[in-house]
Amino acid sequence: MVAAINFSVAVWGEVMDPTSIVRSFIAKNQWKYLLGVLAIGTAEFFQVRIPHILGRFIDRLKLGGSTEHAILSFALELAIVAAGYVLAFGLGQTRIGQLGRTWEFEMRQALFAHWETLSSWYFQQHSVGDLLNHSLNDVTAVRQALSMGLNQISQAIFLFIATLFMTMKTIDWRLTLFSLVPILFIPVVIAIIRPQVRLRSRLVQESLSDMSERAEESFQAIRLIKASSNEPVEVDRFTRRTETIVERQMSLVRMNTLFQALVPLLSGIGFTVGLVYGGWLVVHHRISLGGFVAFTVYLSMLVQPLMQFGVVINLFQNASASLLRLQRLLAVTPDIRDPEHPLERPHWEGTLTAQHLTFRYPNAKHNALSEVSFIVPEGTTLGIVGRTGAGKTTLLNLMLRDYDPPPGALAIDGVDIRGIRVSELRHLVAYVPQDGFLFSTTIGNNIAFSRPTVVPQAVKEAAQQSRIWETIRDLPQGMDTDIGERGVMLSGGQRQRTAIARALIKSDAKILILDDSLSAVDTLTESEILEVLRTVRGKKTVIIAAHRLSALRDTDQIIVLDKGSITQVGTHESLIQQTGIYRDLYRIQAGGDSLHA
Amino acid sequence: MSDSASAMRHLLGYARRHWREFLAVVGLVMVYVLTQVMQPWLVKIVIDQDLIVRHPHFRSILVIGLIYLGVTVVGLFANFTQNRKLQWIGQRIVRDIRNDLFTHIESLSVRFFDTHETGRLITNVASDTNQVSQFFTSFLLSLIQDGMSIILIMGAMLLLNWKIALLSFLVIPVIVAISAVFRKKLRENYRFTRSQYSRLIGYTAENLGGMRITQIFNQEKKQFDQHTALNRRFTDGNISEYKWSVRFNRTFNALGNLSVALMMWVGGMAVLHRTIEVGVLYAFITYIQQFFNPINSLTQNWNTLQTSMISAERIGGVLLTEAEITDAPAPVEVPLGPSGIEIEGEVAFNQVSFGYSPDAVVLEDINFRVKPRMFVGFVGETGAGKSTLMSLLTRFYDVRKGSITVDGIDVRSLRQSDLHRIMAIVQQDVNLFSGTVRDNIRMFREEIREETVQEAAHVAGADEFIRQLPGGYDAWIRAKGANLSLGQRQLLAFARALALQPKILILDEATASLDSATEMALQAGLTRIAAGRTTLVIAHRLSTVRHADMIYVMDHGRIVERGNHEELLALNGQYARMVSKAAPTELVERSF
Repeated sequence: MVAAINFSVAVWGEVMDPTSIVRSFIAKNQWKYLLGVLAIGTAEFFQVRIPHILGRFIDRLKLGGSTEHAILSFALELAIVAAGYVLAFGLGQTRIGQLGRTWEFEMRQALFAHWETLSSWYFQQHSVGDLLNHSLNDVTAVRQALSMGLNQISQAIFLFIATLFMTMKTIDWRLTLFSLVPILFIPVVIAIIRPQVRLRSRLVQESLSDMSERAEESFQAIRLIKASSNEPVEVDRFTRRTETIVERQMSLVRMNTLFQALVPLLSGIGFTVGLVYGGWLVVHHRISLGGFVAFTVYLSMLVQPLMQFGVVINLFQNASASLLRLQRLLAVTPDIRDPEHPLERPHWEGTLTAQHLTFRYPNAKHNALSEVSFIVPEGTTLGIVGRTGAGKTTLLNLMLRDYDPPPGALAIDGVDIRGIRVSELRHLVAYVPQDGFLFSTTIGNNIAFSRPTVVPQAVKEAAQQSRIWETIRDLPQGMDTDIGERGVMLSGGQRQRTAIARALIKSDAKILILDDSLSAVDTLTESEILEVLRTVRGKKTVIIAAHRLSALRDTDQIIVLDKGSITQVGTHESLIQQTGIYRDLYRIQAGGDSLHA
Repeated sequence: MSDSASAMRHLLGYARRHWREFLAVVGLVMVYVLTQVMQPWLVKIVIDQDLIVRHPHFRSILVIGLIYLGVTVVGLFANFTQNRKLQWIGQRIVRDIRNDLFTHIESLSVRFFDTHETGRLITNVASDTNQVSQFFTSFLLSLIQDGMSIILIMGAMLLLNWKIALLSFLVIPVIVAISAVFRKKLRENYRFTRSQYSRLIGYTAENLGGMRITQIFNQEKKQFDQHTALNRRFTDGNISEYKWSVRFNRTFNALGNLSVALMMWVGGMAVLHRTIEVGVLYAFITYIQQFFNPINSLTQNWNTLQTSMISAERIGGVLLTEAEITDAPAPVEVPLGPSGIEIEGEVAFNQVSFGYSPDAVVLEDINFRVKPRMFVGFVGETGAGKSTLMSLLTRFYDVRKGSITVDGIDVRSLRQSDLHRIMAIVQQDVNLFSGTVRDNIRMFREEIREETVQEAAHVAGADEFIRQLPGGYDAWIRAKGANLSLGQRQLLAFARALALQPKILILDEATASLDSATEMALQAGLTRIAAGRTTLVIAHRLSTVRHADMIYVMDHGRIVERGNHEELLALNGQYARMVSKAAPTELVERSF
């Protein structure tokens, strides 16, 4: 029972083992693959005819028994055979390459669908960069093995066997054997050097990104650097990075050039053996001149599959490591799941209850929350105050089932939230995150995020309520203005107000949760937004966590959290009469008393 | 094009200093190409002189075989040496351009950074420089090597038989035309696929970052559908790109074989009519196939040239930008005493007006004088111009009207390095650098001594947490500062400012991103930090400046009220209104 999503199944069915994904993909497309491989086999059959035709042609010419007609027919035969080779090879290559890219498409779909089922805990354990690497490198590595690897290996096998057969049968097997000895080292050289090249080029990449980071750091801190005239120091640090790059690049170049020299050297030696020994055979009338010429062509044809063997070995090595990583990723099971028998209710009121809520993060030493209990009757407001790390956000996240609270600890209208379908719970709740996360689309789409089909008027109303409407009106394309990656076009306060509009548009939601969502909004706008919230409060239960006490001025009750426990409960008026964290915070914010004492 | 041409000429200067090495490379390339062209010729000799004759002799075959091996080895060695040499030159050219470009960017004024995205500048430094070096290592090499290959092959063919040679040359325009057409198609496809790919990856990255929001808003289906659309478009592009490259390669294949067939026909006739020998025919068949690679490579490198030009233009654009803020031709010398610069630290703004663009006014007629070692605060709504004041004092920008003086000296007549030695600034966003805590405090300046660093950290109140870090002052910090809390980062910034031992300290909303409790902990440190120097504070919370010697209230680019806390409250103006609004309730005064 995977929470919320079952459309992923439509893509992959039971995806638990990606090696089986590769296998099942091939099985699903077995006829297409067979066609592709057969086409390549046919192509190689044609290809090895070409030197043979040439050899026969030369022999005919040398014997002097040739005619103009015979010459033309030799040329035509070669043209036809060559056309057959090109067509068949093109067909096979296209087929297999296309299949590989289709696999890549399906794998990306499966990855994305899988990620959508995983919970916040998972995303906290893995950085976006690491996860993206699966999408960037692992999928690509497997696809390369599936398309390029398969293409090359089938071509190499067919070509190698066919060439050996032709040279041994139509020319001379000893000649083949002796000339082949140096060339056989080519795959060995490749298999040894290519990983080295790869390693060194990774080091180059690392030093390059190190330099870019260095430049980024410096450009972003430019005011600090200028204000302290630190430019020479920065240039010095940067220069050291560029020196490292030169060193590493040269180490890569050394390996590359060695590689680029060794392979032709080996084939050159093979060719020399063929030339001398083949010549000797012609001199002693063991083979014909045409056979000799054909052999030189065959020899150059043999170099290619042998190089490919080396390449393919590496491709498959990389792909198997990537497959393992993908397998591990897809094997992760979602930890937030729907209950076996979810409770259905046509109507919810929105009373929220916490009962002896104790929570500890996996692997943590201390409780994030201990014995937290409160009741927020429907339509009332709860404020949550506390220092950074006191447990405010944890409490809110449990209400959203970002993590699973202990059974029975959190309830809506008396129903344990773990007994409600996750999508149902999240339908009930509207939420404004601390960081005001927005997507890089238009501001209108961001506000209407949960209701893409809503009428423009509703979007406008939500924007007006959250006091972002005037900003939107001044944007070049209004609601249709793209706000850039994560909303960079907007200021922190504007982002928060947009996120509030996004929550307010969920008019059906019974509970509204604000996680310090007004921190970047100036005090005047804050009080206007709070005023708006007051008008919707009649219908909604509101939970507000805040640093700035001004945001909590009119809440019905306030709980003060300290190290995960409730230390004080009351209203603003009652709390400032008590000694405690609340009054301390209040004093600092009302005008401190510690400066220049 | 003339822009990029002049930019390229400018960058050619970087290559000029390596001209001797370039000459060596050209020589080595010539050796390599020559050996490549000699190889079929040697086989031709074997065939015509030793194999086809009535009484073939093996000895000369052996000699030629050894010559063949020798030629191959010499050619490969020349190519190997050439390759290393050229890459070495190329790497040094990129390094030099990168260093100069970075140095130049660092020297530009803040306004340049206002109008140029960091990402763009990094691309200039990281990838544009690389593209430009491709011009030297890839394009020039191809021009010499491939050009020479074509010429030598043509020469060899003409020597063998000029009539057949001229006929063979007919394939050259066909190869050029086909590769030009395909190259264009391939490039279009490549660009399309790349852009689709980056959109797909960007979308994935963003959704991984915001997965929580998607889930909380129940929008998995919608986001997945968008992913499908992007993935579909990328895959279509990817397949189309692949198909075009297959078509291209196979067309080249077909063309190569067709020209062999053509040569069989034409050459075969010639052999039949005793115009050429069989070995010559062999050589022709080999040579005509050798045309393909160099021509293909030349068209490929034509693209390299275009990208290099575009990159050169971008780099040139940055290099030709001149710094807006420069030192005066004859700067005022500041006396250096035993304890650093001898400056009292008096700051004065005299009728200062300023705007970021000619038609906008951010500050108007600002006048104030801060006596040495005073602690003054600036308050006002966002956009009132407080931060701009500080940007003018540090000379990030120059005033439009009026003047700013330090100890009576106009900041514009001071050397920038002297001015910046006098003052230090702490901003809301703390910039950290990848390096140790120590290096972050002393900003990598080796000349700042360990005692100074630790003393600064101690005064700022950062010493305690630093010692608890694994490694203490040697603890490694990532640039994004993920391993430090906001409060710790801010303390580090204070320590950094103190380590520079400034006469004037500027705190620009330095505590704005902290929660109240952390800020309270910082307040005590603030007092110590401010001691003995002129301190200008832009305050986010009024509590920070409550005890300042003087508070300036700003509104729409003007100073509207001035006085200490009590005086301003008594005035019952804007300051008093701000105080009452910032307080959690109207009960402020009563509760104290």
